[in-house]
Amino acid sequence: MIISVASGKGGTGKTTVAVALAKSISYCQFIDYDVEAPNADLFLKPDIKHINNITIKQPYFLTGLGKSFKACSDFCHYNAVAAIDNKVIFFSELCHGCGGCILVGPEGSVRERDIKIGEIRKGFCPPGINFLMGDLQPGSMRTTAIQNELEKNIDHDNHVIIDCPPGNSCSMVMAVRSSDFCILVTEPTPFGLNDLIISIDVLKNLKIPFGVIVNRFGIGNDEVFKYCRSNNIKILLKIPNDIEIAKYYSQGLSLIDFDSLWKNKFVCIIDEIEKEVSVK
Amino acid sequence: MKQVTIISGKGGTGKTTLASSFIKLAAKQIAVDCDVDAANLYILLNPSRKKTEKFIGGAKAEVTGTCIKCGKCEELCRFEAISDSQDNIKIDKLKCESCGVCEYVCPTNAIKLKPEEQGEFYVSDTEICPFVHARLDPGAENSGLLVTRVRNIAEDLAYANNKDLIIIDGAPGIGCSVIASLNGVDYTIIVTEPTLSGISDFKKIFEVTKFFNIKSFVCINKFDINLKNTGDIEKFCSENNVEVLGKIPYDEKVPENLSYKKIIIDDQSSKAGGEIIKIWDKLKSYLYS
Repeated sequence: MIISVASGKGGTGKTTVAVALAKSISYCQFIDYDVEAPNADLFLKPDIKHINNITIKQPYFLTGLGKSFKACSDFCHYNAVAAIDNKVIFFSELCHGCGGCILVGPEGSVRERDIKIGEIRKGFCPPGINFLMGDLQPGSMRTTAIQNELEKNIDHDNHVIIDCPPGNSCSMVMAVRSSDFCILVTEPTPFGLNDLIISIDVLKNLKIPFGVIVNRFGIGNDEVFKYCRSNNIKILLKIPNDIEIAKYYSQGLSLIDFDSLWKNKFVCIIDEIEKEVSVK
Repeated sequence: MKQVTIISGKGGTGKTTLASSFIKLAAKQIAVDCDVDAANLYILLNPSRKKTEKFIGGAKAEVTGTCIKCGKCEELCRFEAISDSQDNIKIDKLKCESCGVCEYVCPTNAIKLKPEEQGEFYVSDTEICPFVHARLDPGAENSGLLVTRVRNIAEDLAYANNKDLIIIDGAPGIGCSVIASLNGVDYTIIVTEPTLSGISDFKKIFEVTKFFNIKSFVCINKFDINLKNTGDIEKFCSENNVEVLGKIPYDEKVPENLSYKKIIIDDQSSKAGGEIIKIWDKLKSYLYS
């Protein structure tokens, strides 16, 4: 069973929940899909055993042979190649590495080299969490390319917990789309509710069942609860607003470290989800 | 004209709280929300829309003609977006990067790149100033393109209305929409918090601002929840020659005002609001120098 933990709004507690779930069941695969700002490793403290560089191929242009590269510049959908006379200006940060310029350019005059866009790291946290994360290199925009590598490494025979990136765009969809169930974490404020409604839209389109965890319960207002009640959305858990929890979090300690009573609650949530998923 | 973007790396550190306050405190300003897939600034600015336009996003590959299953597109697609299926090829739209290689190599012209409507953008009036914002369709490509579009409109609006400052609320992360919101701005304000996650993400976004050569300032939000980590952030900033404009205390008044959709600096009893006003005064000396 694959459970993803997502949230439209950032900083509502995705990683807090995902880490608590993993620590509660102890044996699972954990994947941090928030490759732009990965944080789960700070809480799970895995022993990293493998680091794989993720690269894409980018072109370089042999301009000394008097050939024109206008065809490359005309073809490039990312405006990464500007050809003036026989010279080329190449904008590396715009290039997606599609290889189109090799196909359309003068034969033999466009070559390629590997450019690093990030890393995949694999590790282990006792007693039984297989840890996997992606880390996008600052300056690169290839978020979904790193996530694509993570997707290939999903262990479908294991329980899998996926920590998603914030937002409701393609990188969030990449993270949730393999899951059997998605936990949406929100906070009871107008910002939290606004972004929750958009996330629910995404999950409905993808036909992924979901439930809600309300974090920082006690702040804001009760609009999130009203919305969930009138739309028949299950609230799986409320985590109180507690500055002591925030202090634990700030040091890289999990909810389970704060109070081991949380462990049972998360085990119950997983049981509940498992029942719902198996019915479907 | 100056442009300033508020970013953070980590989500939920207080970008919109700061952005809305700066917007309220500034004069001759345009407000812009570049967090297009989880836009929140409008909640505080209560805009009335004057103009709505469709956003046509990146064109995705689609099979529109007769596929002879030669396999060329699958072989040459670098994004693994194309796979073989029963009587046709299958295109994974999430993996498709709109490069056009499949369209180019297809011997029967069966594949076309088709632009799709992926959201809307708006020019609005608010009680404070003009406001440019957008809504990306749920699950759509978080296109830097939409962010760039929004910013272009804001720039035109600023010139046409003789405004001298554009204040941009950015998205979390360090990816394409964040980079698009930073492109060519004068300053960035990085909002961080003294948590290990906040620090880790702050360092990554700071790398991005260095990569694109943009001058940044730092604000530490909820600085008093972990004074040791706050000290570490200040040390990092002084080692890297980044000015910390201010440290905002943990304040329950922030979510309270948020629940009434009020901008925090309007609550004179809020300590956080008071500190944000001081931060603005410091920032102003750079913006109007």
